[in-house]
Amino acid sequence: MNIWFGDMEPQLKLNNVSWRHNVRDYSSWKPWAKKEGAGIHQIDLEIMSGKILGLVGPNGAGKTTLIRAICGLYNCEGFNKSVEYRRKFIGYMPEQVRWEGRSTVYDALNSIAEMRPTFVDLEKLIRTVGLSSRSNDILDNLSQGMRQRLSLACALMGNPEIIVMDEPLNGLDPLAQRAFSNLMKQLSEKGISIIISSHQVADLEKLVDRIALLHHGQILVEGTLYELRKRMDLDEDSDIVEMICSVTGVDPDEITLDVSSDILLPLRKIGGEEE
Amino acid sequence: MKSTYLGYIIFKERILASRMMVIWPLLAIFILFSSWGLSDPKANLPADIIVDSAYDVMFTSTAFIIFSATLGAVLISFDGISRDKISGVLEIKLSQPMKRSNYARAMVIGHWGAIFIPVTVLNILSIIVIWYRMGELPTIEEVFIHTLGTALLLLWYTTIQLLSSSIAKDMGSSIAMGIGAWMLFTLLWLIVTTVVAGISGVGVENLNSEEYIRVEAMMDLFSPNGVYHHLLEMPLDDIDRGTSPLYIVLAAIAWSLIPLQLFILRISRLKP
Repeated sequence: MNIWFGDMEPQLKLNNVSWRHNVRDYSSWKPWAKKEGAGIHQIDLEIMSGKILGLVGPNGAGKTTLIRAICGLYNCEGFNKSVEYRRKFIGYMPEQVRWEGRSTVYDALNSIAEMRPTFVDLEKLIRTVGLSSRSNDILDNLSQGMRQRLSLACALMGNPEIIVMDEPLNGLDPLAQRAFSNLMKQLSEKGISIIISSHQVADLEKLVDRIALLHHGQILVEGTLYELRKRMDLDEDSDIVEMICSVTGVDPDEITLDVSSDILLPLRKIGGEEE
Repeated sequence: MKSTYLGYIIFKERILASRMMVIWPLLAIFILFSSWGLSDPKANLPADIIVDSAYDVMFTSTAFIIFSATLGAVLISFDGISRDKISGVLEIKLSQPMKRSNYARAMVIGHWGAIFIPVTVLNILSIIVIWYRMGELPTIEEVFIHTLGTALLLLWYTTIQLLSSSIAKDMGSSIAMGIGAWMLFTLLWLIVTTVVAGISGVGVENLNSEEYIRVEAMMDLFSPNGVYHHLLEMPLDDIDRGTSPLYIVLAAIAWSLIPLQLFILRISRLKP
């Protein structure tokens, strides 16, 4: 699954990264009983400097879990950089954060900035994400788009080497989406690596350099969109469903709501042998 | 240093929260009015409660502090972690390079400050009320013990509530756990004490018997409210429940460290 960019050194390398969520075991009478649930399995990935990587997959594919593991929220092994390093140099923007309360935008950012070891120029950061006119507004009065900008500001704190964004385009109007994409391109031109997750290939098509297709916690394929479509013999307008169906060998017309998670069997069973 | 400043930011946010518009008047009614009433020379108090000095008034009015300020600590801290967890802000905070233990300390400092400062301001005002009514002021030592005891009591409730908030899956469970702990120590502890006394073979017909008072004093070491009262009884010469000051200090240290360490451990292992 590793694709090398000539002699370029990857900024972050994932080698056989796995993580399982601990979920409540309802088969036991003990309220504290846990069992291993879904997660990610044997992920190999290389994040190259100044490149935008799109993580694409259906709901429950493991995109958010992989993103959280990359950001150091789960203490799993297989990274070439420590958790401390990743927390310091990776900016993280979670999916649709509901900023609320009577704090102002400036104060909310200030409280996050205080958690970083170096000085953060908040004025500049607020200007970058276009919140200058709203910096004294209270969080309760922000629209979803403004909240997304605030989350982006958090991800940009401390000059990150990598920015990881979970479904950043959700809840944004087309104008804001375009502004967002432009900012991503500018950042990648400055050498910052960006990882964006989405369940829509179309959202990322014009933005990303490479795409990794996730399904059932595994990366099915990775490469440029052109490479992937060529490898799978798909049309230029093929979407995520066609890609997954192509890899798993399932007919798109056979997919129904009640079987969508069962019929699309993983290539490898999680925690088990190859199928 | 970073955690202290972050604690200050959290304190500022909490003290300006809209719920303080309810907590401030409640605290004022309980703390100021109890001092006003108890310092009245004509006050007719039940049982054998004798109030004849400024510190006696402060000591007796702590019953109202236990009732109101501890509930205030619960109301301020119940969503300390759970709100951020639900909104997704916790993910951003936990992904920052700050040590989780420092973040936990900042949370405790901020939430504790938001209840301790109003209570201390009202306690100072209540000393002025006592001085106005009785023409007498407590000694510096008495004020110190009273303030220290109150600070510790509020710290214990704040850490217990923040710990509950970090364990709870939603804000409803968080407040249920906090109110449950508050009710146990504030309202139900007498029942627990009576049951323990009964099991130990101590008669519970007379709650003023020497044997029962000893069991009660021992049981109080396992309750934050009880340890608070033990601390406040230290300067009083006419109250001796037979508990060594060493045990009281050890209990106060245990109540300060154990919930705090559990909270730090919980935050260190917390996954969004």
